[in-house]
Amino acid sequence: MNSLRPTHPKEVQEAVRSHPRLLPRGGGSKPALSSPKEGQVALELTGLSGVLEYNPGEYVVVARAGTALAELEALLRAHGQYLPFDPPFVGQGATLGGTVAAGLSGPMRNRYGGVRDFILGVEFVDGLGNLVRGGGKVVKNAAGFDLPKLMVGSLGRLGVLTELAFKVFPYPKATATLKVAFPNLGEALEALYRLAASPIELYALDLVPPNSLVLRLGGLPEALPARLERLEGFLGRRGERLQEEAEKAYWEGVRDLRDFGEGYLVKVALTPRHIPALEARLGAAPRRYMSAGHLLYLAWSGPVEALDEALRAEGLPGLILRGVVANPRIGLNSEGTFGLKVTAALDPEGRFERYAAPN
Amino acid sequence: MQHRIDPEKVGPQGEVMAHAIEACVHCGFCLPACPTYQVLGEEMDSPRGRIFLMKEVLEGSLSLEEAQPYIDKCLGCLGCVTACPSGVPYGELITSFRAYSEPKRRRPLFQKAFRMGLQETLPYPARFRAAARLGRLARPLKPLLPSFLRAPLELLPAELPPPEPLPERVAAEGERRARVAFLAGCAQQVLQPGFNRAALRVLARNGVEVVIPKGQVCCGALALHTGERERALRLARQNLRAFSGDYDAILTNAAGCGSGLKEYPLLFRGEAEEEEARALAQRVKDIAVFLVELGLREVPPLKEPLRVAYHDACHLAHAQGVRAEPRALLRSIPGVELVEIPEGELCCGSAGTYNLEQPQIAATLGERKARNILATGAQVVVTGNIGCHTQIQNHLRKLGQNLPVLHTVELLDKAYAGQL
Amino acid sequence: MTPALRELEILFPKGLLHRPGELAPYESDALTAFRARPLAVVLPESHEEVVAAVRWCQKHRIPYVARGSGTSLSGGSLPVEGGIVIALNRMNRLLRLDPKERTAVVQPGFINLQVSLAAAPYGLYYAPDPSSQPVSTIGGNLAFNSGGAHCLKYGMTSNHVLGAKVVLPDGETASLGSESLEGVGPDWLGLFVGSEGLLGIATEVTLRLLPKPEAYHTVLAAYDTLEKAGEAVAAVVASGILPGAMEIMDSLAIEAAEAAVGAGYPREARALLIVELEGEAPEVEAEAHHLEQVIRSSGAYEVRVAQSEAERMKIWKGRKAAFSAVGRLSPDYIVQDGVVPRSKLGQALAEIERLSERYGLRVANVFHAGDGNLHPLILYNGRVPGELERAEELAGEILRLCVALGGSITGEHGVGMEKRAYMPEMFSPTDLEAMRRIRQALDPLELSNRGKMFPGGEPRPPSGPHPLERAGVIVRE
Ligand SMILES: Cc1cc2nc3c(=O)[nH]c(=O)nc-3n(C[C@H](O)[C@H](O)[C@H](O)COP(=O)(O)OP(=O)(O)OC[C@H]3O[C@@H](n4cnc5c(N)ncnc54)[C@H](O)[C@@H]3O)c2cc1C
Ligand SMILES: Cc1cc2nc3c(=O)[nH]c(=O)nc-3n(C[C@H](O)[C@H](O)[C@H](O)COP(=O)(O)OP(=O)(O)OC[C@H]3O[C@@H](n4cnc5c(N)ncnc54)[C@H](O)[C@@H]3O)c2cc1C
Ligand code: SF4
Ligand code: SF4
Repeated sequence: MNSLRPTHPKEVQEAVRSHPRLLPRGGGSKPALSSPKEGQVALELTGLSGVLEYNPGEYVVVARAGTALAELEALLRAHGQYLPFDPPFVGQGATLGGTVAAGLSGPMRNRYGGVRDFILGVEFVDGLGNLVRGGGKVVKNAAGFDLPKLMVGSLGRLGVLTELAFKVFPYPKATATLKVAFPNLGEALEALYRLAASPIELYALDLVPPNSLVLRLGGLPEALPARLERLEGFLGRRGERLQEEAEKAYWEGVRDLRDFGEGYLVKVALTPRHIPALEARLGAAPRRYMSAGHLLYLAWSGPVEALDEALRAEGLPGLILRGVVANPRIGLNSEGTFGLKVTAALDPEGRFERYAAPN
Repeated sequence: MQHRIDPEKVGPQGEVMAHAIEACVHCGFCLPACPTYQVLGEEMDSPRGRIFLMKEVLEGSLSLEEAQPYIDKCLGCLGCVTACPSGVPYGELITSFRAYSEPKRRRPLFQKAFRMGLQETLPYPARFRAAARLGRLARPLKPLLPSFLRAPLELLPAELPPPEPLPERVAAEGERRARVAFLAGCAQQVLQPGFNRAALRVLARNGVEVVIPKGQVCCGALALHTGERERALRLARQNLRAFSGDYDAILTNAAGCGSGLKEYPLLFRGEAEEEEARALAQRVKDIAVFLVELGLREVPPLKEPLRVAYHDACHLAHAQGVRAEPRALLRSIPGVELVEIPEGELCCGSAGTYNLEQPQIAATLGERKARNILATGAQVVVTGNIGCHTQIQNHLRKLGQNLPVLHTVELLDKAYAGQL
Repeated sequence: MTPALRELEILFPKGLLHRPGELAPYESDALTAFRARPLAVVLPESHEEVVAAVRWCQKHRIPYVARGSGTSLSGGSLPVEGGIVIALNRMNRLLRLDPKERTAVVQPGFINLQVSLAAAPYGLYYAPDPSSQPVSTIGGNLAFNSGGAHCLKYGMTSNHVLGAKVVLPDGETASLGSESLEGVGPDWLGLFVGSEGLLGIATEVTLRLLPKPEAYHTVLAAYDTLEKAGEAVAAVVASGILPGAMEIMDSLAIEAAEAAVGAGYPREARALLIVELEGEAPEVEAEAHHLEQVIRSSGAYEVRVAQSEAERMKIWKGRKAAFSAVGRLSPDYIVQDGVVPRSKLGQALAEIERLSERYGLRVANVFHAGDGNLHPLILYNGRVPGELERAEELAGEILRLCVALGGSITGEHGVGMEKRAYMPEMFSPTDLEAMRRIRQALDPLELSNRGKMFPGGEPRPPSGPHPLERAGVIVRE
């Protein structure tokens, strides 16, 4: 048997205790991360699903880790709320746990922050099979170590997530989008810097190579027209406006990275300063810089070594989400003893995949 | 903060000190306001630390010698009082503590003599003048002297202005709007007689009759703040007599003297004259406050615009809460552009005899103040206190800058006279 | 001087304090109920000197605690009896400010408010604004994941720290985080922030700066009961408006703040609600209309809107001075810091009032209503025998109440010394065990801030058992 499907945290504990090597899997929307290797037992977590607590007045939602994002979003949407970090792959069936473990946020993270900024509480099974809780279920909590944040990006390496609590926000009553093309990358980047340092509040600030910005405004419908005007005034140029259903559909496509085609799907963490050099290296790979140049998603069809090389040259870390590779972590990996020691504390017997070959 | 002080055992000011310590909640809001903490970055040299040390000494769990160096470094600038949300009367605490501790402490002989010398000269214009002259003669010997004697030499001006005895009365010009008594200040008379001249002219111009009561002496602040309570009482008693007449107000143009007079109720606590002292303190006003309340007669516009930086003297801003009035006076001179000095709430390091007793910290603060002033691009610095005046002037000079430093009333006086 | 101390003196020729008069002022942080005399205080001026101090402690197996401005309200920077205090106040420089990338790199002793002042010329600011902002250091803020009135929208310190250079308990240096808002791999920095000085000492911190909001709209609403103010908060939330801050003060807090800074609050009010909108001018203007309707139907008997930046600052000045200002109403007080789900605010406040009556102690309430973060201030007089004990008992009941309502024992002041006994109320032994394993993996001897956060263990207050202990609230193993 190389696949288990627990439906209760207790069963996860048993599974961990009785198998020396495990790989948790939400459902596989990031197959590079969730395909078990030789000797690993896959732990399917979609059976551990369902919203446990949700009171819209609290801005807090608690759900099992295997809950599909789509299910959770539908519930929140019904109460005019959303996950402000805008997780990707909702349409592909991604789960809450997989999203946290992979540390993924989408374009709208620009407004209020990423998954690390909205996770409040966590319950997980550590490498000893203990069920551990960290954080809480209120929007503010400073008791104990911040284990919820630690789990963001942990790729199942520190434990199997069984339950998660998030802060949620009211969804903007109206949204509108402006696509603006610039004569060249330099000018687009300059505009990105100016916007990011301005008091103009954008739900999304994406740079789409070669030279466009896509900007999303949100808020009260009565203020939107004036704000779009101001935005164009600020940029000193007009753009293509998207509104209503077309606008919503556009962004759903963007956040699920639907137009990226084949190839390795990769996340890169960066700052806008790195964009010019990266642009010179990435060729024709489909890509998009989100959140004012702090988050890059790209599809890479060439050899993974070439991309790894390119990222190292720029001193940037990357994560392969799709495509079969030995180690999905590419580019810079500056993890030192701090990480190794914390990992050893939570998984002393090495049950979980570590992917951590610092370079 | 909780304490185990037995006020009975501590003496007449025990209650005052216990109350101040009780009011301190150890929150640290005063730290950034404290010049010594800014310079030294150590808790003992912060208001919160000093309060704690005083508490420990008064409780008997720490020896006075252990605490003394840090208490001594306190400038008494009261920046902490302004910053404290809990209303800790730090000024009353430190003054009382110094009075409490001075008789108990052992000072080296030369220090005793030096302090005694200060107490015996500074408050007496004639003696001060003589000493200053001697000091100038001693200048060539400076490198040979111990540091505590070197500092005062550096502060002496190269030239002492000739003595100018003040009249006993100055009549109001035009319609008389008020009649006031004027405290002439001691060191100020010797070092900057121009301050008083300017004050008298400005008051007269504004219809104020000024009496300079005979028999007035040093306010006693110097003695009080260095723990010489008996000496302070002696001086204060003379002043109670000298200023007992019926005046609309008792004015000073020296911030330190003003706050000194306002401390009389604390000084006389438990003495027969307590009531009298309170009555006097209530009538004391800084000249800027008085002029603003009175309403200035029109000031002619300056010939050219002037960028003026106003420096808050601690004893005006922190001790008396006087910040707005001097600025209002300056703004009422057409052509003055008033600029604020960065870190304006931080003491310049002058603080009475502080730059004589703690020359290093005083110099660091003086230079910091001078640099902050220069950063404003002002053409003139104005302040309401003789100590700040001397300190700022010295440190500007050290940086090679000859920016004029004036008293608030001097600028006003020059403006009235059409000299600017 | 022992040989070990002499060694330390050689390492810190200008930055070692060890005389009784030097040590006494370091005995407490802002929670003076606890005191402990350290062996010495060192004042490092560089990363290397921090490393040297930590290595010395490691070598001699002497526990240590990092200290910023000592404004912790939970005994976080309380020294370990006989240990070393590593005071970071001389490492107080701004190392870099990059307006384009919107980052600032500071030393740990840099003061929170100074970050915003330095960033102001570029239209930027540093968002987390604890009331202790003019005093508290970035290092302390980071260790306690400090929050403030404006954390509802943009989060706490943790959401604004991008990277940190830290000295681990073994003396090694680690670099956590980066300059990017995103990361790959576990969020090590996220774990470090809020670890209360147990996992190491930050010596360099990279902060994220935000553009200053274009417009503010600050509303002060007065109510004749606390409940109504609490309900108003719920109504604002329900309306879908997301204010930058929502704060409530009760009548005692109003009285104290008025006495301290004369903020011009309506003195007779039983409760004041401050709601602040911030953002783009047209948006704020539109939201203000909605807010007005919500507030109007919330039963406020007086509503004021700040008409200028000066008026706005005045409103906030009163709020921010409120804690310390309570010192004017009472010789002693305990600041509590608990969180309840927002919908249980009314219930919690009513219960606190009941407890206050039962214990015969006044309780002032100032709190981050938008976050459900309560700050009951329990007023007592330490000179009255038994009052401190009763106050601490009351404080304990309030914490248990918060946990029972589904909240937390601390929203922002941390566990420190004060609340370690309450950790088991929130976390199971397994949870605590996992946290302790992390700690021990990095610090097997538990030298770094020994005795804090985890229940049990040293240090003890020097004057015998802690009052909570005497009262039977805390039990030590
Ligand atoms: C192009 C594409 C086509 C697909 N087609 C199909 C299809 O036809 N049918 C189908 O059933 N599915 C399909 N999938 C997969 C499906 O979308 C997954 O069900 C879903 O994406 C769940 O994955 P996840 O996002 O939760 O993260 P995963 O990819 O499962 O996991 C990401 C990382 O998180 C870790 N992780 C996940 N959960 C936890 C946890 N609870 N605790 C700790 N670590 C955890 C994993 O170990 C892994 O490292 C497809 C996916 C893609 C991208
Ligand atoms: C009047 C008042 C109001 C307050 N208001 C608020 C508020 O609104 N919100 C809030 O969150 N808090 C508030 N506090 C609490 C306190 O100000 C914060 O906890 C603050 O972050 C402490 O900073 P500090 O520099 O004083 O740190 P300290 O008290 O000196 O230290 C706090 C903790 O941080 C550790 N530490 C310090 N520096 C470092 C470092 N470089 N690396 C690792 N660990 C370190 C210490 O060991 C200790 O555990 C308030 C306190 C007071 C007195
Ligand atoms: S600000 Fe006031 S209460 Fe706070 S520590 Fe300083 S003196 Fe004490
Ligand atoms: S009076 Fe001045 S020097 Fe003395 S403690 Fe207060 S702020 Fe510091």
